[in-house]
Amino acid sequence: MAGAKNHAYHILPPDIAPIMGAFAGGVMAVGGIMWMHSAAYGGAVFFLGVALVIATMFLWWGKVLTEAHAGDHTPVVQLHLRYGMVLFIASEVMFFVGWFWAFFDFSLFPRPLIYDAVSRTVSLATDAAAANAVWPPKGLEVIDAFRFPLLNTLILLLSGTTLTWSHHALIHNQRGGALKGLWGLIGVGEHDSVKKGLWLTIVLGLIFSSIQAYEYSEAPFPFKGINYTSAFFMATGFHGFHVIIGTIFLIVNLVRVYRGDFTPRQHFGFEAAAWYWHFVDVVWLFLFAAIYVWGGWGAPVHAG
Amino acid sequence: MTDTALHPSAFEAHGDHGHGHAHHDADHKPAFFARWFMSTNHKDIGTLYLLFAICAGIIGGGISGLMRAELSQPGIQYLNYWAAWLPGGEQGLDHSLHLWNVLITAHGLIMVFFMVMPAMIGGFGNWFVPIMIGAPDMAFPRMNNISFWLLIPSFTLLLASPFFGGAGTGWTVYAPLSTYGEPGPSVDMAILSLHLAGASSILGAINFITTIFNMRAPGMTLHKMPLFVWSVLVTAFLLLLSLPVLAAAITMLLTDRNFGTTFFDPAGGGDPILYQHLFWFFGHPEVYIMILPGFGIVSHVISTFSKKPIFGYLGMAYAMVAIGVVGFVVWAHHMFTTGLSVNTKMYFTAATMVIAVPTGIKIFSWIATMWGGSLTFKTPMLWAIGFIFMFTVGGVTGVVLANGGIDDYMQDSYYVVAHFHYVLSLGAVFSLFAGFYYWFPKMSGRMYNEALGQVHFYIFFIGVNMLFFPMHFLGLQNMQRRVPDYTDALQYWNHFATIGYMVMAFSMIFFFVNIIWSLFAGKPAGDSPWGEGATTLEWTLSSPPPYHQFETLPVIDGGDGHH
Amino acid sequence: MRIMGLKGIVLAAGLALAGLGQAVAAPAAPPAAPAVAAAPAKADPMLAMDGAPAMLPVAGIGMPVDGKVTIQPQVTPNGRRALWFHDVILFPLITIICVFVLLLLAWVVVRYRRAAQPVATKTSHNTILEVLWTGLPVLILLGIALPSIGLLNAQYKPAPDNAVTLKAIGNQWYWSYQYPDNGGFEITANMLKEPKEVGKGERARTDADGPRLLATDNRVVLPYGVPIRLITTSNDVIHSWAIPAFWIKLDAVPGRLNETSFTIEKPGVYFGVCSELCGARHGYMPITVEAVSPAVFAQWVKAKGGTMPTGKPAAAIAAAQPLPETGAAFEAGNSTAPVDNATEQAPTVTQGATANPAGAGNAGQ
Ligand code: HEA
Ligand code: HEA
Ligand code: CUA
Ligand SMILES: [Cu+2]
Repeated sequence: MAGAKNHAYHILPPDIAPIMGAFAGGVMAVGGIMWMHSAAYGGAVFFLGVALVIATMFLWWGKVLTEAHAGDHTPVVQLHLRYGMVLFIASEVMFFVGWFWAFFDFSLFPRPLIYDAVSRTVSLATDAAAANAVWPPKGLEVIDAFRFPLLNTLILLLSGTTLTWSHHALIHNQRGGALKGLWGLIGVGEHDSVKKGLWLTIVLGLIFSSIQAYEYSEAPFPFKGINYTSAFFMATGFHGFHVIIGTIFLIVNLVRVYRGDFTPRQHFGFEAAAWYWHFVDVVWLFLFAAIYVWGGWGAPVHAG
Repeated sequence: MTDTALHPSAFEAHGDHGHGHAHHDADHKPAFFARWFMSTNHKDIGTLYLLFAICAGIIGGGISGLMRAELSQPGIQYLNYWAAWLPGGEQGLDHSLHLWNVLITAHGLIMVFFMVMPAMIGGFGNWFVPIMIGAPDMAFPRMNNISFWLLIPSFTLLLASPFFGGAGTGWTVYAPLSTYGEPGPSVDMAILSLHLAGASSILGAINFITTIFNMRAPGMTLHKMPLFVWSVLVTAFLLLLSLPVLAAAITMLLTDRNFGTTFFDPAGGGDPILYQHLFWFFGHPEVYIMILPGFGIVSHVISTFSKKPIFGYLGMAYAMVAIGVVGFVVWAHHMFTTGLSVNTKMYFTAATMVIAVPTGIKIFSWIATMWGGSLTFKTPMLWAIGFIFMFTVGGVTGVVLANGGIDDYMQDSYYVVAHFHYVLSLGAVFSLFAGFYYWFPKMSGRMYNEALGQVHFYIFFIGVNMLFFPMHFLGLQNMQRRVPDYTDALQYWNHFATIGYMVMAFSMIFFFVNIIWSLFAGKPAGDSPWGEGATTLEWTLSSPPPYHQFETLPVIDGGDGHH
Repeated sequence: MRIMGLKGIVLAAGLALAGLGQAVAAPAAPPAAPAVAAAPAKADPMLAMDGAPAMLPVAGIGMPVDGKVTIQPQVTPNGRRALWFHDVILFPLITIICVFVLLLLAWVVVRYRRAAQPVATKTSHNTILEVLWTGLPVLILLGIALPSIGLLNAQYKPAPDNAVTLKAIGNQWYWSYQYPDNGGFEITANMLKEPKEVGKGERARTDADGPRLLATDNRVVLPYGVPIRLITTSNDVIHSWAIPAFWIKLDAVPGRLNETSFTIEKPGVYFGVCSELCGARHGYMPITVEAVSPAVFAQWVKAKGGTMPTGKPAAAIAAAQPLPETGAAFEAGNSTAPVDNATEQAPTVTQGATANPAGAGNAGQ
């Protein structure tokens, strides 16, 4: 039949979202520059950009959901989505490679820095001490890896298991049940492991972020002026940012679970969020092992 | 293509592609705004990319014209006048000299990120990858469009940056010149421009990989895929894995500049050389990103106009894979003078030279493809043959530079400038023109003017060789890069090069006249203007192809081709 | 040179093709040059302003020559070795490869044009050929790699103990130099401006100083025949210290000390340029080295208020350790603000030799 679509791919009608998203990104970039250079309304423009980006996301993914429900996501299109997500995560991995590269450059080839806890600045050793440079910089107290960071590691690992539990339940359709007790109050049925697992994962993610925020506020070193803190804050900070994105991603999925979007066979949005969460988890393991444990080894530990 | 040896008749039977059916759904195009600003059609997006790349090429080429004018004689000729247009900083010698750095930075970035990459990957990749694998569109049509549109704010930021003082860091944006060396918003604008362009390319890479892995027509196995598709596949992987590292590096620049981190500031224990590692970990794969699609294009053109399947198809495909893989482990050959240890330098010398082997395989396979063929010398073929030779010239000077001990002399001299313009301005750009003339009839439905095309080629060929060959001599006589003024004894070849520029620029008139004329008055192209040599799927469609091709997927016959 | 002549011909052909009536003045013979390198004293009295023994640059030595197409003549052993490697191995090889590819192309274009070959063959495989064109390049590259690695080894041979240490410090946009083995005095080298560009009281360039954009007010004086240990670093952004006639180019990186060594074989004046983009006046911070006999060098050092070492101060050697990867020691307190770039200033700072952690083990450079 001439002219009729005769394949399983998804051909889309014209859409305004891409150009809107691109220009939203542009506004955000311009606003960011203005803000960094203290131009008038810089912050406002930046947040306008952010708002536009978020609006685009709603618009864009809203359409994707509609299309999914309309049956446009045939098996081959779902496969596209899987490929897309895996590749996106691969690129994210390379992004973190950059930050780890900086960290290992500094830690494997340490500079003879001496940290002054009073002025919270570093100076370079001039004399013989220069030959015995150590990492972290001399005099710098590090965060105790085996307190909050270890706790956070456990939290993330646990969140990985709760998420898998939820996913498993989704595949085996373990849902529903009477609304009882505390779970019942938030609309989770007693057999509904999907919601329970997801709720727990999100809560664990939020706890992680809160602990991380607390840890930052209590950090025994400043943000500025030192290679250690640059590498530390930017690597863990970008990780934290990804945790927040992952948490939002999970929340979106929770909402969709409540709406009953997923079936045991078709729930790619859920899986994508799960992959992303595991990726964030793995990055943390590397951060924990490299930056907190190995990178702080032998340095005085901040008490408190 | 090539050994798949499609018999058009064989798959006429399976597919329908709207020859002459004017009223078919497949050819129903949206209204103007929706079609061009909200596009989800790979061919339209490809066209947008090509238009964008041509504009960027004119701007980048124009800037290089200003540069050649200034360099035509020793002393400062014009910079002082031009600098009056450049705000920020008081007028004076330093201001003029800074303008020079702004010009070369803009030229390098524009040519790399806004001319070659959009034309090769966004333009030809979008147009022909789906068609060549027998797919109706890209895997993520909406994302395809944002990849294009991100380039607009990105390019705008870059073009606007001179009006805020200008980024004079070179396209490599080395710290600390780019951190505490240049206050003012311009460098931030350039950095964020690269962020946006990078995001665009990463999304594009995801799209191409998914499309190629997932949307091949029935029977189109990886080993039957046209070489251009192979080249884009490898390129997409290079983009996907190298660009995020650049993103991290320039984010560090941004935080060093604005938020007090000290990644590259030695006073805080930072390391300026770290930036170079991160940059070149991206930068070297980047140079292959710019040439691999060109390799793909040239393969098709050579095969078509030799009326022969490509010689050693598998070797050709895996040579590109090898170039891509090895391309990730040679980056520090750009850093030979930074104080690397002797072992590091030996490793990078050896690893770099390895790439000459797969590249050689490609060069010789192209020649072997022509061997025994029945050659016609249409414009695309001229560019392709020119490409093979000029790329070889550029490649072998690369091998000279690869020797760490030799590079101590050449590094940062015009020898390097000569090397990379041979592989880029005579390599990548030649392949772009080859592809453009080759596919112009398919994209527009009209033939270009053969005579004008040939004149364009010959004059351009002479011009760019006059322009860039003497740069080897300048380098050997030790003219350093990135200076607007040079000692008087370097005048002869500089003047010569500028004349070469004028010859080259003259030839471009023929190009533009040709495309404009042909778009409106060229004679209709027909489905397959290049005859039996052209075996890939795009030649089975009408010219231009229907708005949605392959509503019914073509089936690639199962024969094992010519392996 | 024979081979370079070839390039000349190719270019001339290109020119002729382009139909440009331009005379191919090609590699013109360098202007007749005084044969003796070290024209002793008494040239321009200004030249000896910093106490440097006056010496006239020789056209074609240590500087570019108009229209010339070859590498500058080399005056260090490693330079001659590298030049040999380039001129005898690399350059002929790449020329042969290019000519080979060109001839193959010409052959297929002529032999297999449609008029001569109306019907194409269908060959798309030939295992022997494919093995050959993979294997041969491998062999060729091995042939390149061996001398290449030998050259690298030679370049990285540590300077002996009796070497004279020169510390070159990049600044936006001039070089300052220290002689840590010689009492640590410091000189500053600015580019000499043209007569019409100088301000009041500034010294303008004369031809005795050297070519435009290459001459400096203060030359780096070094002894010939004696190994020199070069240490580079920077006070602001990255610069690169380069003298082509020595085959030396070493980046001056803030926060790092890079090290290399060379031995100048002939007296003379040699010019180089900053070879890493360092901001607006990147093109205006040349390097001038004047190589003199060790005795004259000693006199010059004395005139600058420095001392000649009697034995190596052991402390200086022990002071610094090479870093694992780079062999570069890290320098302290790099944040010296760049000094005003005026021609007059040539501070003869006398610094203690201890300030210099170099003289280090030579692992890296
Ligand atoms: C399309 C882009 C492109 C390509 C394909 C290449 C290809 C190569 N490049 Fe180039 N290069 C650049 C773009 C490119 N380069 C750019 C932009 C810069 C400068 C960046 C900057 O600083 O701004 C640069 C700089 C650069 C340097 C650093 C110079 C310096 O700054 O000091 C080096 C050093 O090793 C190098 C080496 C090589 C090598 C060995 C190849 C090889 O891949 C070439 C292989 C090809 C051949 C060898 C020819 C064909 C082969 C045969 C016919 C077989 C037989 C041959 C032999 C046995 C030798 N390049
Ligand atoms: C793809 C890359 C590319 C291309 C094509 C060119 C093209 C040219 N470049 Fe190059 N150049 C660079 C990349 C490129 N350059 C880079 C990376 C640097 C280093 C910057 C730095 O130091 O930081 C540099 C630096 C550089 C210098 C050194 C500056 C310095 O160090 O001080 C000079 C000097 O002459 C120069 C000149 C030219 C000239 C005259 C051309 C001419 O060939 C230009 C003529 C124009 C064209 C050939 C383009 C025409 C194309 C189109 C119109 C689009 C067609 C599109 C389709 C067919 C779809 N360039
Ligand atoms: Cu100093 Cu360039
Ligand atoms: Cu490279």
